[in-house]
Amino acid sequence: MIRMSQVKGRRDNLAAWTMVAPALLVTMIFALYPVLDSLWLSLHHIFVGIPKLGSPFVGLDNYLTLLRDPAAQQALLVTLAFVVLSTLLELACGLIIALVIHERFRGRGLVRAAILIPWAIPTVVASQLWRYIFNDQYGFANLLLFGNRVTDYIPWLAYPGIAFGIIVLADVWKTSSFAALLILAGLQVIPDDLYDAARVDGATIWQRFWHITLPLLKPALLLALLFRTMDAFRVFDLVFVMTQGGPGDATQVLQFYGYQTLFTEGRIGYGSAISVAVFLMILALSLVYLRAIGSSLLERRHT
Amino acid sequence: MRCFKSSQRIPRVSSSHAAVAGVWCPALWLAFLLLGWPPATGADQSAQSSPAQTPPPITLRFVSWKPDHPRVWDEAIALFTKAHPHISVVRELAPHSSTAYHDLLTQKLKNRDATVDVFFMDVIWVPEFAAAGWAHRLEDRFSPAMREEFLPATIEVGRYTDHLYGIPSRIDAGLLYYRADLLAQYGFAPPTTWDELARQAETIVAGEQRNNPTLRGYSAQFKQYEGLVCNMLEFIDGHGGSLLTADGTRSTLARSEALAAVRFVRDRVIGRLASRAALTYQEPESLSVFLQGHAVFHRNWPYAWELVNNRTRSTIVGQVGVMPLPGFTPGRTAAALGGWLYGISAYSQHADEAWALIEFLSTQVMQKKFAQEAGIAPSRWALFSDPDLLAAAPQLRNHLTVLRSATPRPRSPVYPAVSHLLQRYFSRALAIEDLDLAQEAAVTDAHIDRLLALTRTAP
Repeated sequence: MIRMSQVKGRRDNLAAWTMVAPALLVTMIFALYPVLDSLWLSLHHIFVGIPKLGSPFVGLDNYLTLLRDPAAQQALLVTLAFVVLSTLLELACGLIIALVIHERFRGRGLVRAAILIPWAIPTVVASQLWRYIFNDQYGFANLLLFGNRVTDYIPWLAYPGIAFGIIVLADVWKTSSFAALLILAGLQVIPDDLYDAARVDGATIWQRFWHITLPLLKPALLLALLFRTMDAFRVFDLVFVMTQGGPGDATQVLQFYGYQTLFTEGRIGYGSAISVAVFLMILALSLVYLRAIGSSLLERRHT
Repeated sequence: MRCFKSSQRIPRVSSSHAAVAGVWCPALWLAFLLLGWPPATGADQSAQSSPAQTPPPITLRFVSWKPDHPRVWDEAIALFTKAHPHISVVRELAPHSSTAYHDLLTQKLKNRDATVDVFFMDVIWVPEFAAAGWAHRLEDRFSPAMREEFLPATIEVGRYTDHLYGIPSRIDAGLLYYRADLLAQYGFAPPTTWDELARQAETIVAGEQRNNPTLRGYSAQFKQYEGLVCNMLEFIDGHGGSLLTADGTRSTLARSEALAAVRFVRDRVIGRLASRAALTYQEPESLSVFLQGHAVFHRNWPYAWELVNNRTRSTIVGQVGVMPLPGFTPGRTAAALGGWLYGISAYSQHADEAWALIEFLSTQVMQKKFAQEAGIAPSRWALFSDPDLLAAAPQLRNHLTVLRSATPRPRSPVYPAVSHLLQRYFSRALAIEDLDLAQEAAVTDAHIDRLLALTRTAP
């Protein structure tokens, strides 16, 4: 009997492994291998322009360089500021949008579809749009603010602080609807009887929001936060299209810096080190978030 | 096109015929081409003399940027394939921006991609392409006798450590375009120094305040990108400074001449002579300001001349003069050397055919066509005394002198990395108000020195 069950268990195991093998293989080839390869490359000095340098193993030297590189420090600061600002604004806007499209009103389907449009537009196209909106000569922003007084027109993207703000704005415009979608899903699982009961008890709309909606939305908010933070860390196209990191490195973000180092400068080792550093930061962040989300989900199950 | 077919039956045409051919009939065009164009190899020659042995069909892949005048390039390639029926040319169009094109092309070359045969090389890439082994050496095909027909400066940019890697397509230098009508109206002669230029611009802008309130003195390229290095190099050069020491081993941004030039641009150009918007301008945006009549002076490459006088694009046709960029002392001029070479990939399996193509595109007839129809400055001596061409493109008169004194950007296999440091420094210097310029320059110098040292100390 014992033997039989052991054999059966082994057979089940085998069947299970066979079934997950294709997925596992794909993950290994397309996720694990590139990560490990980047990690390996980042431990070498490789400079495409100097082949006689070879590709010596240098241990953590690239990472030490990264810590002392002022351009990388600037890029890290800009990236962090971008992540914090854009994520917070996107969650706030997403929450408002979700609350609106959760209500029942005529034409709700149309509004829901319309709100998703910015998210459906490719980032490169959206970036071009924003670049034109803030053009110094024929941009819509200037027309809106100054009309025909062309001498007052402002070259928005020529000021470091404003250029950074515009990158954040473009990202918020584009991805708030994605956050809204996740939050809307969270709203829809909140049972209506909770609100009915609160109404019977005489709770105001604010009380209902603070004491029912927000606490029960926590998992959805955390999920949106997780997706948006990780996505914001990888910001690239907005910078590539709108500013190329300028003016004066004000919009230089880590991913674009890594791209420049790898693809334009041909510093394979150092560029890989930058990518791996970004990867590690995102990994650490997602671990923290997953913990938070996991525990909040557990809390919900207990209640 | 019937014209073409008949010409193929004529194997050779005498040179006197070709001379009167003009440029309008494609048949005579082709005859002209055949003359100016000796077959590259013995194999080619036998193929031409005995049409019975048609060589196997070959496809050449030409990775090109998106051209300003696509029609001219299409016609040029069509002429080539007419002359070489067994070769077809497939063009892969890459982005217009030099850096984006570089990244796409080098990605293919790093992977030893055999589907690239011919490409363009920016003059600043030659050392990198040579050191990395991406570009075919051309000195055996590009004979000394052939080279003598080209301006020396246009050959030298294709050379690195005693080998030739490119044949010039368009080699040019920065020029100053000015509104001749406005200068004449205010009684000014074209300026000889930057201070004079600034004074003239201030007077004209003040005087035109009512007619044209958006008029600015100057328009050029100060965005954080490769073109910023060219613009700043010209100011620094005009001030007697340089980017590197003469032996190319040390960066010299912290020297007083270079610092003074950067200070001039920061304090007197950005937001004053030029709109602050210039910090977001590459060539097309800055040219558009000038074409709309919103700038008195404009810095650009020779290609702008054709657009300045193009009625569909420009509001200032016939009102523009062109001259070398001034320096900070009378008589001094400055120009950054720029432009493109044709190169052959080291991984191409059709190097002979690739050579045939780039040799064809560099013939005198083709260079004249490109010059007349696409505003591309030629690199052959003969064309600088061609009366048709000089009448159509007077900016070429300056070209010989400007090219002779033009300053190349640092020639190093690590130039892309050096350029990023320069772009970062210049853009920060111009865009950030209270930056400690001397300290920033010293830090950048140290970084560039370290990069340059890498190329020397390698085992």
